[in-house]
Amino acid sequence: MPTPDPFATLHRRRWPDYVFAGAAALCAAVALGVLIWVIQAIVTRGFPALSWQFLTEHIRLVGAEGGIFYNLVGTLILIATAACVATPVALGIALVRAVYLTGDRAKRTLDLILYTLNGVPSILFGIAGLIVFVKYLGWGKSWLSGGVLLGVMILPTVTVALVERIKVLPTKYVEAARGLGLRRSQVIRSVVLPQAVGGLLTGLLLGLARAAGETAPIMFTATIFAGATLPTGVRESPVLSLPYHVFILAQDSFDPAVAGKVWGTATVLLILVFLLGAIALPVRLRVHEEARHG
Amino acid sequence: MTRGIGLSSAAFVLALIVAGCKESGSSPSPGALKINGSTTVNLPAAEAAEVLRAERKMNIQVDTQGGSSGGISMLGDGLVQIGMISKHVADDDRKKYPKVNFKETQIGEDAVALIVSKDVWDGGLRSLSKQQAKAIYEGKITHWKDVGGPDLRIAFFNKEPGRGTWEVFVHWVYGSPKKAPPVSFPEVGGNEETRNKVASTRGALSQLSSSWADQRTVFALALKDDAGALVDPTAANIATGKYPMSRPLFLLTNGEPTGDAKTFIDFLLSDRGQELVAKHGYLRLKDLKPH
Amino acid sequence: MSSGTALTSPTDASRATASPRRRWSVTAVSSTAFTALTIAALVGMVLLFALQSLPVWRHEGTHYLTGDKWFFRNQVFGVLPMLYGTAVVAIVAVLLAAPIGIGAAVFASEYLPPKLRLAVKLTIELLAGVPSVVYGLLGILVLRNYVYDGFRSLGVDMHSGDSLLTAGILLAIMILPTIMTLSDDALRAVPSAQRQAARGLGLTRGQAVRSVALPQARRGLVAAVLLALGRALGEMIAVFLVVGRQDNQLPASWFSLKPLVAPGQTMSSKLGGAETNIAYGDPLHWAAMVGLGLLLMAIVAIVTLVGGWLAGRSHAHA
Repeated sequence: MPTPDPFATLHRRRWPDYVFAGAAALCAAVALGVLIWVIQAIVTRGFPALSWQFLTEHIRLVGAEGGIFYNLVGTLILIATAACVATPVALGIALVRAVYLTGDRAKRTLDLILYTLNGVPSILFGIAGLIVFVKYLGWGKSWLSGGVLLGVMILPTVTVALVERIKVLPTKYVEAARGLGLRRSQVIRSVVLPQAVGGLLTGLLLGLARAAGETAPIMFTATIFAGATLPTGVRESPVLSLPYHVFILAQDSFDPAVAGKVWGTATVLLILVFLLGAIALPVRLRVHEEARHG
Repeated sequence: MTRGIGLSSAAFVLALIVAGCKESGSSPSPGALKINGSTTVNLPAAEAAEVLRAERKMNIQVDTQGGSSGGISMLGDGLVQIGMISKHVADDDRKKYPKVNFKETQIGEDAVALIVSKDVWDGGLRSLSKQQAKAIYEGKITHWKDVGGPDLRIAFFNKEPGRGTWEVFVHWVYGSPKKAPPVSFPEVGGNEETRNKVASTRGALSQLSSSWADQRTVFALALKDDAGALVDPTAANIATGKYPMSRPLFLLTNGEPTGDAKTFIDFLLSDRGQELVAKHGYLRLKDLKPH
Repeated sequence: MSSGTALTSPTDASRATASPRRRWSVTAVSSTAFTALTIAALVGMVLLFALQSLPVWRHEGTHYLTGDKWFFRNQVFGVLPMLYGTAVVAIVAVLLAAPIGIGAAVFASEYLPPKLRLAVKLTIELLAGVPSVVYGLLGILVLRNYVYDGFRSLGVDMHSGDSLLTAGILLAIMILPTIMTLSDDALRAVPSAQRQAARGLGLTRGQAVRSVALPQARRGLVAAVLLALGRALGEMIAVFLVVGRQDNQLPASWFSLKPLVAPGQTMSSKLGGAETNIAYGDPLHWAAMVGLGLLLMAIVAIVTLVGGWLAGRSHAHA
């Protein structure tokens, strides 16, 4: 009788594994390929249009000539405002979520609310802003409306980053502060908040990276295509912006020759978004891995 | 804590509702000269604004939200001082804003062309009559062969609502926008999108400002009048009004223009301003022949 | 004396910081106020949409939802074609992105060495931040031509490159990084001890992944897909530029594939278009537009909440 091959079953088992691994590898290849195609499609078209001049000149000839200086300025104004709006509110919510609230159900409800807010399509912020700021308050188009709407939009991102950070604070600091007789509010102000700054920065950078690229919340409420430089007040003070510029040029440019400009603007926007996200990345990944294996 | 949050939330919502029930306040703020409206008029107007901003330090904001209709409605709502429109103010608009005295100041003339993609033009189709345009618009003719063109399906892109271009088109075909039947076609918005999509689609047809038809990527058709004569959208035909789809370019104000608005409009009526109008492919006032 | 334990227990922070008297410090009051303000803003937004859309509910009733024609000049408002368009575009996006995204995440998290996996994760995180307007640009200038020419070589005569399918493909590219990141999170949440136990029992790596990691991560994976679906449903800019924006495109048969290669309209593309600007003066038209916003909000909220609930459950298992 021939000896049965002890490795027969092993060989039979390998094939499904190879197929499975191969399928997974194929998916990864397709995914990375598609995404790399996206980046190169943008960069090959956009980089030729970039120059120091492009960044520092104003727009001329309705976008056909000149640069995007005030578009960049406008976007920076919008995200700076969003940061100012989101910071105190996110701190407040984060403290409520991570420190004050005790019931599980209460915490889950708050999480639910933040989740819902995070999922609201940005166009709806734009419509709500149109009704409340532009028409009802009579502000017309105002940088402040845009900043507030963007700030509300990024609240969940900032809050969650803060909450995660507060959760991993070592108790020894808190215990030491309590041991010194500090009240809860003092403990929060002197121990929790200073330590949570890292989370705040991470959350803000991530949120602002998203806010910088959003068109829908600001197209009805805060931005115009040409004619604005710096805002002069609250009412009727729109700003220019990078994403709206791209959106309009894609549909409505002065001249077919403007194609280079639209890609240049898109690239500048992309660089801004990547910078904001990249600064936050190391901190985020560290917290991520800590939470995973801690 | 939960109770505190719940109560305050409810209080805030209540406050919002109460505030919402009050009448909204909206008064135009002083300072900037605000202009909004048609993307067609926008080209010379925005450039004029750049000039005046640089030379006379004027604070001018130009936007193109909602096209010509947006220009009328924002002027009517008091949100801007000048509306840019590429069509006449309709009676309906005057009725909607009874307190507003719409004053049209013409700064030039433009024409709407029916543009087709290269394959249609090369296939021999060079003109359309009003009846043919009507049939295409109503979906009765769907193939270029049926109007003497090549063997291609008609891919019609309709201008989005609110655009002066669309109104000029239905004005020619039906006599008034009100008489246009409801249709569903893919929509295009601005000039760039229209030109881009027509150029990249086989058998495409759409409405576009004639100055945008470069006769390289998109081609402007002649219109066949009732006698069968062909009328090209040339400057001469537009100036004399022979080309039926010509449209005036207006700056709209509430009553006679005053202050900064007057400065702006006067500039566009001056020689320098009119040069800007011509630069963008439109006809200047002095090019127009009486008709 | 504990040396570095974190405030991870649910009541740690609260108990650790609690003081016997004076609960309502300035910090507490302002925190409460800000939280309440945020909740009020969300509730207020929903109420605002509901109230502003009342006229159309009165005018059309349920016909608003079931009507298949939208002609605003004739005051006919039926959103069914837009509901259809929104659903088709989102479903196409998820059908394309989910298998590829999850497969890629499986590969990255189960087969790649840690350093490579980190590099991939970094790239994906960055790509997840590309703004939608940039995708829209790629769509209108590049993708729509590929789709148009592609189908032409297959013998299918599309009206143009603008179609529900084009929008779906563009959205798939947009949500791919999101699905990959969240799926990776879900897979990492399964403790490596379980995989090791499986290997110890004689399972191959592939079997360990298929029978241990994937089933355990199932909830998180479904959550990832649902969250990406939520984003796809609400996306405006990119869809607006390539979907064609043709109203009343409702097929005679629900399962027909023809609408995929035809232009269409989604709720978001309608809201981002010209009608929003012209509708304001007319209460009924405006109500119809805001009604779209209300519907969109409801649909996205349901999908997002289910996804969030599942994600929460999946982490609880880890």
